[in-house]
Amino acid sequence: MITRTSFAELDARERVRLLLDPGTFRELIDPFERVRSPYLAEQNVVAQSDDGVVVGRGTIGGTSAVIVATDGRYLGGSIGEIGGAKIAGALECAADACARGVLTRAAIVFDTGGIRLQEANLGILAIAEICDAIVALRAYTPVVAVIAGRIGVYGGMGIAASLCSAAIMTEGARWGLNGPDVVEEEAGLAELDARDRPLVWRATGGRRRHAQGQAETLVLDDVDAIRIALHALAAREPHAHRIAPELSIDPGLDLPAFDRALRERYG
Amino acid sequence: MSRGEVWFDALRAGALPLANLPPSVRAADGTIGVHPARLVAVVPDAQNRFARARSGELGIDEGLAIARAVDEAPGAVLAIVDVPGQAFGLREEMIGIHRALAAALDAYARKRRAGHTVLALVVGRAISGAFLAHGLQASWIGALNDPGIEVHVMSEPSVARVTRMTREEITRIAQIVPATARDIERFASLGAIDELFAIADPNDPSAQELARVRAALAAALDDPAVAARTPRSRLDAPAAVVTRALSREVRARLRASWDG
Repeated sequence: MITRTSFAELDARERVRLLLDPGTFRELIDPFERVRSPYLAEQNVVAQSDDGVVVGRGTIGGTSAVIVATDGRYLGGSIGEIGGAKIAGALECAADACARGVLTRAAIVFDTGGIRLQEANLGILAIAEICDAIVALRAYTPVVAVIAGRIGVYGGMGIAASLCSAAIMTEGARWGLNGPDVVEEEAGLAELDARDRPLVWRATGGRRRHAQGQAETLVLDDVDAIRIALHALAAREPHAHRIAPELSIDPGLDLPAFDRALRERYG
Repeated sequence: MSRGEVWFDALRAGALPLANLPPSVRAADGTIGVHPARLVAVVPDAQNRFARARSGELGIDEGLAIARAVDEAPGAVLAIVDVPGQAFGLREEMIGIHRALAAALDAYARKRRAGHTVLALVVGRAISGAFLAHGLQASWIGALNDPGIEVHVMSEPSVARVTRMTREEITRIAQIVPATARDIERFASLGAIDELFAIADPNDPSAQELARVRAALAAALDDPAVAARTPRSRLDAPAAVVTRALSREVRARLRASWDG
C-alpha cells in the first residue's frame, strides 16, 4: 500500500528530521537553550524558544549535512535577529567545514513571509548575511531550497531562495517577493485583490515557478517525494551559478501582450 | 533630479555613463582617489515600461541591469543608494521579481568575493528588498547623516497593515526597539554604517563636502582590511558588539556544537 505524509502539515522540526537520513537528526541551539528574542515582549508578542528556526545536523545519503527550516506557524515564519543568525551561522559553519575539506551538504526549508517587522532592520541585516553565506557555500556544494509549506517564501527570503543552487516546490507553495497583502496595500486593489486566492496561486504558485524554470523540481506534498528529490539535488556537483537566466530574454518581453494575456486568463 | 542622480553626477565627475542600460539604471566608470571604480545608481524614469517602477524602485529591468553593470565592472564598484523600495505589482510577481533582485545581489556578492571592493553610499532612501539587492552586499557602507535618509524594511502604512498596529504604536515601538526605527542614526547604531557624513544640503553638496566624501571612499578602497570583509564582518563593528550581541552569541553556540 502506498501512503503519503503531507510535508505541509508537519512542523519545522519534523520537516528537518524527516529530510535527513533516518535517525541522524541532531538539533543545534534547541528550544531548551532558550535563546529567545528580547524584542517581542514589549511589542505584546510572545517569544518562542527556538525563535521560529530549526537548525538540524545529520547526514544526507551518508554525507555530513545541515538543514535549516523556518517555522511558518510562528509569526509567519518571519526572520528576526536570532532566527536569522541561526540560518546565516549554520551556513557559515557549513562553508567553513567544506573549506577544511569536510564536505557538508546543505538545504534550507523556506516557509516564511520574510523579515520580522518587529525586528525590522535586524532582520534585513541578517538576510544580507544569509544571502552572502549561500553564495559562499554553493561554491562547495549545492544549497537546495525546499519551498513546500503553507506560506511559501516571500520578501528578502524570496531573494535568498533565488540564490540557492536548485529549488524544490510543491503546487501548494508560493514563491515571490511581495506578498499579496503588501502588493494590495502599496499598489491598490485594482492591481491585486489579496483575497483572490486562485489568482495568487496561479501567479506565484509552484506550478508556475516550475514552468518558468525557477523551481527545478515540482513534487507532490509528500515527505518521501521531497526527501528523494532533495537527496538527489544535494548530492550533485556544485555548478557555476547564473541567476535568472530565464529572465535574460527580458528586453524582448512584450509587456502589452503580457498584460493582455493576464487579463484574458484572470479577468 | 533625484538624490541618487545628484550624487551619481557629482561623484562620476564627468565620466560618461554607460550606454547599454535602461534609463532607470545609471552606471559610469569613474575614479575615486587613485582607484578606478564603477558607480551604479537607480534613478526615477517616468517612461519606465514597468509602471510600478517609475519612481526609482528596483524592478525587473533594474535588477537585471544592475547585475549586468556589476558583473562587467572592471574593478571596484560603488553603489549609490537612493531606492524607495522594490516595484510592487502583479506583473512583477508573475514574472518573478525576486529573481531579478537576486541577480543584482548575487552580482555584488560575487564581485566582492572575487576580491574587488564593493562600496555603498546611502544618499536617500534605502528600503527593504531594494537595499538588500543594491547596497547591503557592500564591504563598506557610508551614509549621509540627514533626516531625508530612511532605512527600513517596509513602508509605514504596510507595516501598520501587516502588524495591525496604529501609527502611534509604531512610533512608540521605534523608541524602544531601535531596529524598527527609520532614521540613519539608529540604523548606524546596529554597526552597519562605516561612516556618516554631515551634508548641509544633500540635494546640492558643496565642493568641500564632496571632497570629504571622496576622501573617505578612497580610504576605504585603499584599505586591504575593507577588501577582506563580508556582510558578516559587520558583527565586529564596535556598535554591533553591543547591539547585535545575540547575533554573535548564536554563532558562537553553533560553532561550539557543530561537531557534536
